[in-house]
Amino acid sequence: MGWFTKKHEQLDEKKSLEEYLQRSHDFKQVSYINQHTNKKFSFSFITTLIDESILQENALPFLLEKSFETIEDIKKIIPIADLQISSDPSEMEQKLFNGYVLLTLETDQKNFAFIAAQKEVVRSITQPEVEFSVIGPKEAFIESLEQNLNLIRKRLPVKELIIEEYTVGTLSKTKVAILHMEGITDPVNVQNVTDRIKNVKFDAITDSSYIVQLISDNKNSPFPQLLDTERPDRVTAILAEGKIAIFVDGSPQALITPTTLVEFFSSFEDYFLNWILSSFFRLIRLFAVAFSILITPIYVATLSYHYELIPKDLMNTLVTSRREIPLPPILEALFLELTIELLREAGARLPTKVGQTIGIVGGIVIGTASVEAGLTSNVLLIIVALAALASFTTPVYKMGNAIRLLRFPFLFFAELWGLLGIVFCFCLLMTHLLRLTSLNRPFLEPIYPPRLTDMKDSLIRLPFRKQTMRPQTLRTLQPLRFTLTKKKKRGDIDE
Amino acid sequence: MGQVVPEKAKVSPFLVFFLVHSMQLGIGVLGFQRIIALTAGYDAWISVIIAGLSIHIILWMMYKILESVDGDIMDAHTFVFGRVVGKLITLPFIVYFSIVAITLIRTYIEVIQVWMFQDMSVFWYSLAFCGLAIYIIFGGFRTVTGVAFFGVILPLYLIFTFFFAIPYADLRNLLPIFDHSIKSLLLASYQMSLTYLGYEILLFIYPYIKDPQKSKKWAHLGVLYSTVLYTALTIITFAYFSEGQLQKNVWATLTMWKVVQMPFVERFEYIGIANWNIIILPNFCIALWCASRITKKVLHIQQKYGVIILSIVILIGINFFKTREQINTLIDYTGKVSFVINYGYIPALFFLMLIVKKVKKK
Amino acid sequence: MRKALILSIVVAFALSGCVQKEILDDVNLESGSAYDYVNGKLRGTALVPIYLPDKAVENKTYSANSSLSRDFLSDVQRQSQDPIVTGSLKIVLFGEQLARKKGILDLIDSFQRDPSVGAGIFLAETQGEARKIIESNYGKRGTAIYISNLISHNMKTKDLPKTNLQRFLSDFNQRGKTPYLPQLRLIQKNQIEISGVSFFRYGHVVTTIPAEKMFFFKLLVDQYSQGSLKLKVGKELAAVESIRSKYKMKLVSRNTPAINVHIKVNAILNEYSGIKVTPKELKMIEKKLNKKIEFECEKLTKQFQEKNIDPVGFGHFIKSRTRKFNFKQWETDYQNLKVHVTADVTITESGVIE
Repeated sequence: MGWFTKKHEQLDEKKSLEEYLQRSHDFKQVSYINQHTNKKFSFSFITTLIDESILQENALPFLLEKSFETIEDIKKIIPIADLQISSDPSEMEQKLFNGYVLLTLETDQKNFAFIAAQKEVVRSITQPEVEFSVIGPKEAFIESLEQNLNLIRKRLPVKELIIEEYTVGTLSKTKVAILHMEGITDPVNVQNVTDRIKNVKFDAITDSSYIVQLISDNKNSPFPQLLDTERPDRVTAILAEGKIAIFVDGSPQALITPTTLVEFFSSFEDYFLNWILSSFFRLIRLFAVAFSILITPIYVATLSYHYELIPKDLMNTLVTSRREIPLPPILEALFLELTIELLREAGARLPTKVGQTIGIVGGIVIGTASVEAGLTSNVLLIIVALAALASFTTPVYKMGNAIRLLRFPFLFFAELWGLLGIVFCFCLLMTHLLRLTSLNRPFLEPIYPPRLTDMKDSLIRLPFRKQTMRPQTLRTLQPLRFTLTKKKKRGDIDE
Repeated sequence: MGQVVPEKAKVSPFLVFFLVHSMQLGIGVLGFQRIIALTAGYDAWISVIIAGLSIHIILWMMYKILESVDGDIMDAHTFVFGRVVGKLITLPFIVYFSIVAITLIRTYIEVIQVWMFQDMSVFWYSLAFCGLAIYIIFGGFRTVTGVAFFGVILPLYLIFTFFFAIPYADLRNLLPIFDHSIKSLLLASYQMSLTYLGYEILLFIYPYIKDPQKSKKWAHLGVLYSTVLYTALTIITFAYFSEGQLQKNVWATLTMWKVVQMPFVERFEYIGIANWNIIILPNFCIALWCASRITKKVLHIQQKYGVIILSIVILIGINFFKTREQINTLIDYTGKVSFVINYGYIPALFFLMLIVKKVKKK
Repeated sequence: MRKALILSIVVAFALSGCVQKEILDDVNLESGSAYDYVNGKLRGTALVPIYLPDKAVENKTYSANSSLSRDFLSDVQRQSQDPIVTGSLKIVLFGEQLARKKGILDLIDSFQRDPSVGAGIFLAETQGEARKIIESNYGKRGTAIYISNLISHNMKTKDLPKTNLQRFLSDFNQRGKTPYLPQLRLIQKNQIEISGVSFFRYGHVVTTIPAEKMFFFKLLVDQYSQGSLKLKVGKELAAVESIRSKYKMKLVSRNTPAINVHIKVNAILNEYSGIKVTPKELKMIEKKLNKKIEFECEKLTKQFQEKNIDPVGFGHFIKSRTRKFNFKQWETDYQNLKVHVTADVTITESGVIE
């Protein structure tokens, strides 16, 4: 009796699913009859998801011409590797939507087979566009998870690389892969990421940026706490360091966690250059960021409150440039900053070619015109343009956005209390950064808490020979990267 | 006493260096030179060294006290005086730290009012400052330590600005050495100890240190660093000002910045004063943290509410100090109380501790 | 509720937390001021540069009579379009009458008290009225910058001893030392020169040395100083430039005070009217120079003793070598001080020709 009802339920479930699916145009159900045994079998599939040629070439001819009795026999006659036999109708929906073809026999209602026939619609691998580098590998991730994992596997052909896969999103059923190195990465971290991914509650996850915002430690911070990258080489490098990478199906951007603030200011190209050059570039970038955040507020503070600071040789230039301007420095600065933001935003929304034109034309025309009209001073125009230029040196786009935003609170405080306000706002920013964590690891590391060994690859990058240790903050199981072979005794000149 | 500090809230032992030093370096350093020069003339730099060295003895006693109970001073109080009396004796420390916080912020606002903005609102600035401090303390002790760390590291560059005073320096001002009596030197040391105050926070932060044994070295180094810094500053000040001139300048350190001239900045003192905000911030935060920590342990009020209540008390209390005279009285009393605590109470507690230990052993 | 509270605090904060602004183009920057003593009253003149669109600077001056230095500024405010602020003051001039008769003590106090006045500003005494000098035009960059640069380069590379507000205040408040300031003079319309150094005692000018003697005075008070000197060697004339000088004082005796000053000068020969500069002639020049420096310096110190001023700071020097130094005693002792100067000039180079 029990068995009977169970069977009945199964049938009902299958029936109702079929009925449900019938409502979609792309659901197809076709029946055929075997030439030898006259057995009736049918395919159910979603046409938009499967590659019909696989069905036509590798499945249908064999099923029509070779004889089979039970569903088990099918395995022997069809030359497709991924063929699963199941008796659980609850799997059906998921499998169908993952691009499998459902094969049922009329005689055997209980068992059925799934034949893999996914259609692979992927663009080919292209050059990285956001994190472009002149030297080094030119591959970037694409929207296919399989392809992206392939790029990583190729670079790390060891069994220690573990890939765990989860499905998140109640509607989108997005596949999310967590990569880490067994025996190196701190299992606590891995557990933490896994828990957070499992706990993601959202309906449709279409990109890795969703994951970033959903699993960040502090969701109200303008700073990204997971580093996103489109470079497989970068992911490889951080996996070897003992960090964790997260891939989201359909997103060309992998996520790296835990991360630190300084990592956002290192471009991966730094590792391709000599350590002196790359250290220099990193310091330049850091200076540029400080400059782009602070210079306009300093201008406002100095001109509004601290005229004493202005060197006597500069006084003439500043006063003459400001003499015709009706706006107080703060409004003048806000006007120009907002103009620059507008140009940036407009440039980003338009196609590349048009965007460039808008940028140049807008910049020159609006800038010159507003100076001539006496709305802004030319000194400030130079300052704002330089600040905008400096803000583009941030290698990570999302961090660049955060930095764009930062100057506005600084402007507010500069207007309120001059230099004191700037310092006060800096204290606020410092506290915020101190409190931030990425995967429960301090975000400001290695600056605070200060760790000398991690300093070797932070604001500056020392030669690879010196980088014998993995970052301390990651608490890796294997802190030593490699053992240094002892140097030969140094010979004298010409020996 | 039941409230064990979780491992992740603790800080590395070497950060004690920054905690101790940043708490010592505060508002006193802006104008201590005049006060000690009034007592011991231009021999007062010796007093700076004497006062600095004497702290090491107190520090040693503090560690002895804390080690024997393996907790903070409140545990020591319970150990010596018993539960109820111990708590009663700890209570005044809440007032002490609140007053230290008020002194700090009020004096800093006075500097701002005199040097930068005459109409700076005491209320709004201290409100903003308290808000910032609450935000920091809510981040836990590690954030407080982080602020202390940056409060030492970031303003380091200010040391270089004093090199601008060197062309004006006349070291002959300091000669002849030992031209004053030992008595006046010791009196100046006493006055100097007010500038040095702050290391007593160790009594409260001790449970938050990982491996407190290792932190000893760093605490002593922190005090030593303050001593070296103050001595160097005193010597530069004495060489820069003639004795008569120094006696006219309330904030000698700030006045010295008046000669700093760089190609891109004509005058430096405004930048310096603004930067002092970073130095004052950890002072204020640590004081507030200590006070709220005591409220938690003694009065069993959650620390987050304790911080807010104390901030409100400070905001109200600050309004009672309006003129320079009142502020000076406040500074004076704070200094005296801290002197009594550091040089009177701590040695007393130290010896009591020894006696009680012996008695309990029997 | 909580959000509304925070929002209202922020709004109130932005509205009432603000402080008084001094926007650069809405204030008149006082770049120089001059003080005179006319008809028993103090007359202050404030110099305000007006920056023209072609980057030239026009000088505008405001004058008022008053008894206090600060007082004069508040009177001047009534004449000016924008508030006059003192933060970018570069030079302060004192008229002859004021410096010699009334004294500048009261004025100095205001510069010390005002936190917006820098310590690096230059003070100078003027021959005649200070107002006349500050009202003249000396070039495109404005009078204040002109005078400030004039004094500054002469102190750095030429004979003028180093002074500014800080040095003046330090000397003024130093026991056993008296301050000194450069003296300026109008030589023709819109042209000035440094005419000498004036010496103060209790805020009054006591005496002035001419520009020719400044070099010797500088040797006595400035370490590592530069300067230039002309002298006669036999029939020939030589011009020598000091590139580095150093002085060292030595206390010879305490009871009847005597001080030895040893001056070491490294110099180069700039000009020589003779045919050839041989080592022998160089030796000659060096010897002559030594003699001249010794003679002039000793003469200067005698002059200071006569006027009872001590700009070199002999008193301060002896104090630093004596325990429990008695300044009362020193006031009478100073007249009996014996100063002996020895000089040691080395000519290191004599130009690119022989």
